[in-house]
Amino acid sequence: MSTSSSPSPDPGWYEIRLQGQLDSSWAEWFDGLTLTADSDGTTTLTGPVADQAALHGLMRRVGDLGVPLISVNPLRRRHS
Amino acid sequence: MAMPVLGTKLFVPPLRKRAVPRPRLVERLHEGLSSGRRLTLISAPAGFGKTALVSEWIADAQRRNSRIRVGWLSLDESDNDPARFLTYLGHALHRADPGIGREAANQPAGSLIPTLTALINAIAAGEFDIILVLDDFQLIEDPSIRDALVFLLEHAPSALHLVIVSRSDPLLPVARLRAGGVLTELRAADLRFSTVEAAAFLNEMMGLGLSTADVDALETRTEGWIAGLQLAALSMQERTDVAGFIQGFTGSNRFVIDYLAEEVLQSQNESTRDFLLRTAVLERLTASLCDELTGQPGGAAILESLDRDNLFVIPLDDGRRWYRYHHLFADALRARLLRDRPDLVPQLHGLASAWYEEHDLPEEAVTHALAAADFDRAARVIESIIPSIRRSRQDATLLRWLALLPEHVIDRRPVLGVYRAWSSIVAGDLAAVEPRLHAVEMALAATAADGANTHLSLPGEELQKLPVSIEVYRAAVAQSRGDVAGTRQHAQRALDLTRPDDHLGRSAAAGFLGLASWAAGDLKAGVRAFREVQTGLRLAGNTADLLATTIVLADMLIPQGRLWEAQSAFERALQLAAEQGDPPPQSTADLHVGISELFLQRNDLPAAAAHLAAAEALGGRASTHENRHRSYLALARLREAEGQPEAALDLLATAERLYLRGFFPEVRPIAAMKARLWISQGRLAEAEAWADEQGLTAADDLSYRREFEHITLARLLLGTHTGARQPGSLDDVTGLLERLLTAADAAGRTGSATEILILQSLVHAANGRTAQGLAPLNRALRQAEPEGYIRLFLDEGAPLAVLLRAAAETGVVGDHVRRLNRAFRQADGTAGAMAAARSDRPLTALSERELHVLRLMATELSGPQIAGELYVTVNTLRTHTKHIFAKLEVNSRPAAVRRAEALGLI
Repeated sequence: MSTSSSPSPDPGWYEIRLQGQLDSSWAEWFDGLTLTADSDGTTTLTGPVADQAALHGLMRRVGDLGVPLISVNPLRRRHS
Repeated sequence: MAMPVLGTKLFVPPLRKRAVPRPRLVERLHEGLSSGRRLTLISAPAGFGKTALVSEWIADAQRRNSRIRVGWLSLDESDNDPARFLTYLGHALHRADPGIGREAANQPAGSLIPTLTALINAIAAGEFDIILVLDDFQLIEDPSIRDALVFLLEHAPSALHLVIVSRSDPLLPVARLRAGGVLTELRAADLRFSTVEAAAFLNEMMGLGLSTADVDALETRTEGWIAGLQLAALSMQERTDVAGFIQGFTGSNRFVIDYLAEEVLQSQNESTRDFLLRTAVLERLTASLCDELTGQPGGAAILESLDRDNLFVIPLDDGRRWYRYHHLFADALRARLLRDRPDLVPQLHGLASAWYEEHDLPEEAVTHALAAADFDRAARVIESIIPSIRRSRQDATLLRWLALLPEHVIDRRPVLGVYRAWSSIVAGDLAAVEPRLHAVEMALAATAADGANTHLSLPGEELQKLPVSIEVYRAAVAQSRGDVAGTRQHAQRALDLTRPDDHLGRSAAAGFLGLASWAAGDLKAGVRAFREVQTGLRLAGNTADLLATTIVLADMLIPQGRLWEAQSAFERALQLAAEQGDPPPQSTADLHVGISELFLQRNDLPAAAAHLAAAEALGGRASTHENRHRSYLALARLREAEGQPEAALDLLATAERLYLRGFFPEVRPIAAMKARLWISQGRLAEAEAWADEQGLTAADDLSYRREFEHITLARLLLGTHTGARQPGSLDDVTGLLERLLTAADAAGRTGSATEILILQSLVHAANGRTAQGLAPLNRALRQAEPEGYIRLFLDEGAPLAVLLRAAAETGVVGDHVRRLNRAFRQADGTAGAMAAARSDRPLTALSERELHVLRLMATELSGPQIAGELYVTVNTLRTHTKHIFAKLEVNSRPAAVRRAEALGLI
């Protein structure tokens, strides 16, 4: 019930594509996901997302910024 | 510290300076209002000018119609607590119309529907049309708040128009509302600036003098997104090379806000930039708070210049003391702060928390302390406001905070530790409770041993009450597990520990003691305990629980044959409920149902029916969930008394569906009531199946919990004997009844004993020994007379009528026997007639409004005065009066009042 309990041992990895380019300074704001600006004018966020609640939180941040969302894909787990 | 209501959340935002008027959209909003659609939904991402549009429309609507009043509520995440949400909703409506909102404050906190109903009635009675705006609704996720709003939409009077402003579609049945034609909707596509609007903004408002081509380029690049155009305009204002800016911006792929926020920040001087970044952690800004975060004075001047330059600050009050950043701008600033100075973030939150605590705004102090991960500070502030949180019943807020605090922080604070145990009870995790309570005790004991403070909870009332709370929670766990001895032991210990002035503590402890006695069949002790509960509740001013416990008390008085005591308890409670005014408190309908059963026992069927009708008129909201099935039980008994067993069985089936297992022992199972009806109708096979299913035999060990079922079994065995072609022995029934009587007598359950005695006399009669049957019958009559039992005898039908005549012949006379004989004579004739009369002329329930009128009719007020009180014309009042007279079948005001009083309606 508390924050001291260990984080989810196996967070899922996600790839979130956004319309428009955001520079890497937004990485912290997106909970430390990696931001990659792609040549087609889109941005890809990649990284571990603790659980569904965290994923929905991320979606809300995307929505708050008014950034058009293109896709959300779960990735096969990678161990970093 | 108290939990203040923040005026900034209720502030209606003024019209923005340099805002482009949007007549096209304002007209659509007007149209939605005038066509009577109840809900306007403005759903679009941040930066589309939603709030500004609503401000513009509201100002215009109030110019057009002076009867329009506006309530505004800017939501934040902490409003996901239903109690808090409703408090603010009431305050917002109160600001709109000072006649509204006070009644909501009088409701028992935590009861959503009664509070909403009170608000709805107040709006209906008011003279204004109210536009209620809920801004930033996307932050609301709590399902019970969503349900409350659906209820509001379904029941709101036409005088209320609700506006929901949200960045995402709310969790409301939007599609259904849309299809039902009650919804006016504006979305991003409607809100974005057209080229004409973009030109008006850039050139007329901002005075940039751009060419059509430049405006087009900017409009295309931002896709009409207003925040983007505003940022672009700000970037261009001080710039000489406007063309270069437009080229750079339109040529870039970077996201609009990212590109422009950087541009705007770069154009600020160093100290303003530092101010913006440091204060970005705040939800609300005020000068002295900003100074605290920047470490230097001058916040007031900077806020003023940001406001003047339209730099994404929005005033939150008339005096321009509080501001907030536009959400998007705040997001952009926070992202930059996290990039450039991540180390500063916890420090800034810490400073904000300290400032808020110093300024008696504890909720914000907790929020920032949690954001700073300064859990000790958060825990300390939470502990200091626990009494006021509990008083305002913001349980959801407390539970959320407790869940965010690490275990080791709570471990050092026994006061929070007890609430952590409470949170486990709330969550139904009973196994977690005891270890948590034990940890609290250890922390308390450690202090006592060496004299030094090993824990951090401050001395005070909360700390003093801990030993009591610990034992009460232990009793609660034992009770939930059906451990009667454990419940009693912990409740007694809690009671021994309470101080004389801790009324609620005493009530809680006595309540569990009473429940344990009840479960063990010691109803005398149960009644004593609940009398004490009621005294405590009265001294603590807790009327809601005082009314609810009256029903428990009566449940324990009736088996003891103390009908008059139960009756007067109900009467006092109904009186108290009436004194609470409108709307009636939650248990009022349950009290009417309870007292109806006493009238039924005395065979006063009209009075019983009147109280059931009063309960029905009050509706479900004047009843608690646990008691909702009882009105069907009472109605079933009434139908049975009227000679309609089939209707009674149907009602019992409904009651069974509604039955909820609560805290209270199930001493009169509905299945057994059904079995009794079957037996009296000769449907013995079904009753036997019930007895088999329950595993009941005449040789069972007896307990109070199964007394009702065992008496039912005795009835079944007697019925089987009487109905059989070759009757067997009645020895097993005789034995069972003898043992039941001994147990009931020993525990002082005189009411049960009277019923058993009647059955004994019937068994003798069935054995052909009528004379022997008169002895138990005589005792039953002696016990029944002072309390006025009639139905208990009457329901036995012909065999008992024979016995009573025999009793009269052998010299057992007295008023009661005569009364019973008369009732028997009337029974056959009247039951059928009454049923027929009832179906011809159902008592039509009075509406809430009509009840209100009735109550005013009982006063000294004249007709026009009543109309004034209700904000209606005299003609409308006349219509109400006509309906009331028709429903009550009277034709004068005094007669209506007399009849309403007789029916217990007023």
